[in-house]
Amino acid sequence: MLEKGLRIAWQYKKYFGEQTAVDSHNRDKKQEFSSDFDLRKPLERQLLNSQNIECISTQDAFDLSKLQNHCLTFVSKLSMKDGINSNAGRIAIQSLCAPQCGYFEKDWDMLSFIRSLRATVQSSNAVAVITFPASVLSNSISKRWQHLADTLLSVRAIPDEDKDLAKLLTGYQDMLGFLHVHKVAQFNSQVPVILDASTYSLKLQKRKSLVLERLNQAPVEGSSGVSYATSGSCSSSKGSLLDF
Amino acid sequence: MAEGLIVRSLRDGSLPGEHAPALCLEDSLPSPLASHSHAVFRHLLASLLSTGTGTAVVLVAFHRSPSFYLSLLSPTFHNSIRLLDCYSDPLAWKSNHHPPPPSHSPQNITLLTNLNHLPHFLSSILHLAKDLGAQGHDRVTVAIDSVTHMLRHAPLPSVLQLLTNLRCHEKISSLFWLIHTDLHEPKVISSFEYISTMIASLQPIVQLPDYANANISASITSLEENYSKAKFNVRLKRRNGRVKLLCEELLIEQGSVKFSSVPSVSSVVAQNLIPKVQFNIQLSDKERMDRANVVLPFEHQGNGQNIEIYDGRRSLSESQKDPSSTKIGGLSEQKRSNNNKSEKGEIHYIRDSDDEQPDSDEDPDDDLDI
Repeated sequence: MLEKGLRIAWQYKKYFGEQTAVDSHNRDKKQEFSSDFDLRKPLERQLLNSQNIECISTQDAFDLSKLQNHCLTFVSKLSMKDGINSNAGRIAIQSLCAPQCGYFEKDWDMLSFIRSLRATVQSSNAVAVITFPASVLSNSISKRWQHLADTLLSVRAIPDEDKDLAKLLTGYQDMLGFLHVHKVAQFNSQVPVILDASTYSLKLQKRKSLVLERLNQAPVEGSSGVSYATSGSCSSSKGSLLDF
Repeated sequence: MAEGLIVRSLRDGSLPGEHAPALCLEDSLPSPLASHSHAVFRHLLASLLSTGTGTAVVLVAFHRSPSFYLSLLSPTFHNSIRLLDCYSDPLAWKSNHHPPPPSHSPQNITLLTNLNHLPHFLSSILHLAKDLGAQGHDRVTVAIDSVTHMLRHAPLPSVLQLLTNLRCHEKISSLFWLIHTDLHEPKVISSFEYISTMIASLQPIVQLPDYANANISASITSLEENYSKAKFNVRLKRRNGRVKLLCEELLIEQGSVKFSSVPSVSSVVAQNLIPKVQFNIQLSDKERMDRANVVLPFEHQGNGQNIEIYDGRRSLSESQKDPSSTKIGGLSEQKRSNNNKSEKGEIHYIRDSDDEQPDSDEDPDDDLDI
């Protein structure tokens, strides 16, 4: 029920936004992804041992060559299937520069690994997600890592039981932290991606589902700031169930 | 309060499926009291042991001899503590030449000589933990006298891996260690902070002055305060993903440590986290004063010059010569100017109220009864 001619004050947009997102875009489209999972359940080990998933650990490795070879074989296996690439390959690396790893002090080796991974992924039907603790890297190396990313997000913690923040932000009790979007990937295009908001709050609703919400603050000039209060929910009503 | 939270967290251990809580105790040279960080370490050790019969400690002693620690604790606790002696012979110099007599060392001290071999180190600690567990202590805490000493013998990733393995092990319920921040690169310190759930650091109450620029004589006398007190900053990582920051004062009196709370400075954190709004609604003090100094147009009688109203069609210089330009005092003056050129017209304006804020929503015509 959104009248286009009606100019709504920014506070009210949050009540209308969700409906348009769900109705107009997703009505007839088949859900190709699902972000509807219950965070209370732990991830079961059997899931990681299933057919299409390969799991390796780098904790005992002294260098990244084994991981690099593994990624290359994984990606080449993808392209060896039928001519139509129905499956995209997904590489997820958690805490790549964790200080417990044997290769932690080899900064340049880690950088060259990321660069080769990026080249591998760009030339095939795969995507890669890497998480890393930026605080353990030196500033210059951290900047280089950030430059190598196509999409860069950062997660920030918020203080617990902070009365000032509780007054400034709505829904502070459910908040886990902030998500900043620093960069968004743009391939083969000169048109820059302009985001409505670059800071989201991570909220846990009913201790079950994770929701990203733009911070509820007054509108700001330009695209770099926080703007209208809309809740972009991570969960969708339809879609295949991804159960953990 | 901070100390209570730390001790409780170390005593309670972890929930199933979690890694054990780990405290990183940091000290640095600017605070002279930080040389007493060892006192804080011993204080925590004593607090943990005195909380009940369930808690036992495996102490890895690098910095002082094990007998020193035993002499500090009352004999009732001697059964709840096991010491790994890494102080007497860390490089195996003595044992290579004179093998130690086996019956010499007391029962709760184990000598360790090959500190380079970390898996052996880990298994020694675990062996002692199991030993304590077998005696009926269900919660075993590992205390490391200082991690700085450990880093002399083994590289950083191996030491961190050892600490992580200790945190994962089922027999260990919590872990704490001391580290001297001046002796390591910032990367090393941040790695230790990364694997710990609580970070406590000792900072000076009065910062050292900037010798190049500041007025030195005034600040040096205030530095004396650093010798009696220190700031005890604690950062706790909570289970809900949030961070709790506490700042307290530390006093050392007659060898014992006392904590006192100070109002925390959390407002700064809040301001830095939220993105700034681009327009400023508040007025600064200077702006407020300037506004008070502005005289409203109807409240003054002019300063003796022609009031020039620029209507956009002519240049300013032309309008000066124009006889029809408005003179001081408004329209009412023009009627009388022929008669009384020396007399100036006046407008008397009485404000409704002095407290009326500008831009207030009060419509002055509201009281008209049309």
